[in-house]
Amino acid sequence: MKSAAKKFKGLSDKAIAWIFIAPTLILLLAINIYPLIYAIRMSFTNFYANKIGREVKFVGLKNYKKILGKEEIWEKMQITAHFVCWTLVLQALIGLGLALLLNKKFKGNELLTTLIVLPMMLSPAVVGVFWTYLYNPQVGLFNYVVNFFYDFGIFDMIGSSTLAPWSIVIVDTWMWTPFTMLICLAGLRSIPNYLYEAAEVDRASKWQQFIHITLPSVLPFLLLALLFRGIENFKMFDLVAELTSGGPGSATELASINLKREAFEKWKTGYSSAFAVILFVTIFGFGNVYVKVMNKIKDR
Amino acid sequence: MDTSRSPSEASGFSRKLAATIIIVYMVVTLIPISWMVATSFKSVDSAISYPPEVFFEPSLEGYVNLFTNRSRQPKDYLDSLPPPDTWYEELVRSREMVITGPSKFLPRYSNSLIIGFGATFFSVFLGSLAAYALSRFKVPLKDDLLFFILSTRMFPPIAVAVPIFIMYRKLGLGDTHVGMIILYTVVNLSLSVWLLKGFMDEIPREYEEAAMIDGYSRMQAFFKVVLPQATTGIAATAIFCMIFSWNEYAFAVLLTQFNAQTAPPFIPTIIGEGGLDWPAIGAGTTLFLIPVMIFTVVLRKHLLRGITFGAVRK
Repeated sequence: MKSAAKKFKGLSDKAIAWIFIAPTLILLLAINIYPLIYAIRMSFTNFYANKIGREVKFVGLKNYKKILGKEEIWEKMQITAHFVCWTLVLQALIGLGLALLLNKKFKGNELLTTLIVLPMMLSPAVVGVFWTYLYNPQVGLFNYVVNFFYDFGIFDMIGSSTLAPWSIVIVDTWMWTPFTMLICLAGLRSIPNYLYEAAEVDRASKWQQFIHITLPSVLPFLLLALLFRGIENFKMFDLVAELTSGGPGSATELASINLKREAFEKWKTGYSSAFAVILFVTIFGFGNVYVKVMNKIKDR
Repeated sequence: MDTSRSPSEASGFSRKLAATIIIVYMVVTLIPISWMVATSFKSVDSAISYPPEVFFEPSLEGYVNLFTNRSRQPKDYLDSLPPPDTWYEELVRSREMVITGPSKFLPRYSNSLIIGFGATFFSVFLGSLAAYALSRFKVPLKDDLLFFILSTRMFPPIAVAVPIFIMYRKLGLGDTHVGMIILYTVVNLSLSVWLLKGFMDEIPREYEEAAMIDGYSRMQAFFKVVLPQATTGIAATAIFCMIFSWNEYAFAVLLTQFNAQTAPPFIPTIIGEGGLDWPAIGAGTTLFLIPVMIFTVVLRKHLLRGITFGAVRK
């Protein structure tokens, strides 16, 4: 085959490979990597993007020291961690539960799956907007339904600093549970039937089958789903920007929301670039460790 | 044989129970969306009544408000006007207002379409070239290259937004359609390369090899044999890219203002007089969500693959 391939006219395979990959590579370098390097460079300066004539000075690690030493930043990180942890826990539990139920093949299964998946395909910003209506303390449907079951009186999910962090957890869980569900479902469907048949022969109880066959098989899939969601929620911006825009005060000011305020409202470009680099390194670091752990679990 | 039952062949009762729970969940999870669609057909007064009205008299006020700008006028001025020509003018007049012109919704919506289609075309076109090369040829550091392409997705958009903002300002690309198309193309490239590589890996090499023995060049074999074979995959990838560009918000809100702004940053701003025009928000939301819902139904077989960058293929 190889000797025959050489005879063909036209460009060599090697040339084609490069011609085909080059545009993608160039675009990624120009619009992704160059800006990242640019951001890293700016993070060592006192640059303000809105003060154009001003002299830009190299300040070394000052921005980084300032950020890591700031109490406020750790608060933002805590808020982000609260959001990420709770959304992951809820989406793992509900998503896996739904997947287990959907795996019992009943009529209309596929249609139901498609309908359940709808929320996650919507625009997060638009979802944020319409949930402000549902959460409205005077006329909102959410508040009405909650009061229907237990009379709390008037409460404001978005306006109260104790409830607001939960308001974003609820909406994100509503929106993204189908994501874990779909991936877990794929995991469940990949389990060969003979495993259960063999377990039946060995007189293993349903519960034992679940613990020893179902759970270990679905775990890698669940972990993969949580990796995707973890990264996305750590970067979370659009949904929360429109739902609470970080408020009240800074009760739901996630890292990305804070970054936007520093970069595009206060125009502290140097400082915010340093924060962006810190966030990126955190995501990258966590992601890599997580993938290593995930692969270990998979190999077992 | 009957004694060996896998969970997928569970007993009638547990299957019925599962179906019931799933249906309840489906209904509950679709309430927020249905509520927003219902709100779009309410009048402003009905949308702010408490307890929330489940049954209401349908009105197109939300849609009229979405597409027009209006101003409130004193009663004697309204009386001095000739009677309204159209039903929507009449509707606005009954709220003691007059239409002053079309709103910005249509331009924003068409921006979403232009930028969405443009970015989808380029990311799928460039993505299929790169995916083919990565699928068929020996490329040095292939795995690193693929990981690099994926890792561009890990940046928080805000992290690169400042440099891109400055870059675009220098290049004159800020707030332009071209600038946004380039940006969304790049953001979508990682997804399109990964997905399309998966789809192309599944097309047997023998097809092209046979075509090349028949005298096709490698290029001809790619365009005339591989691409037609990959149509389903390309279509699925294109829909995913379209949905992403359609839904994108962070870059749109930070990099566009007047000219090239898409619908997502605009919809929240149509809240109207006194912050109470929920039907108009509902109408904007409904019109914005309908295409995505249709796409989702079309895509249902490929959803899983799309959302996991091809990591899970079923």
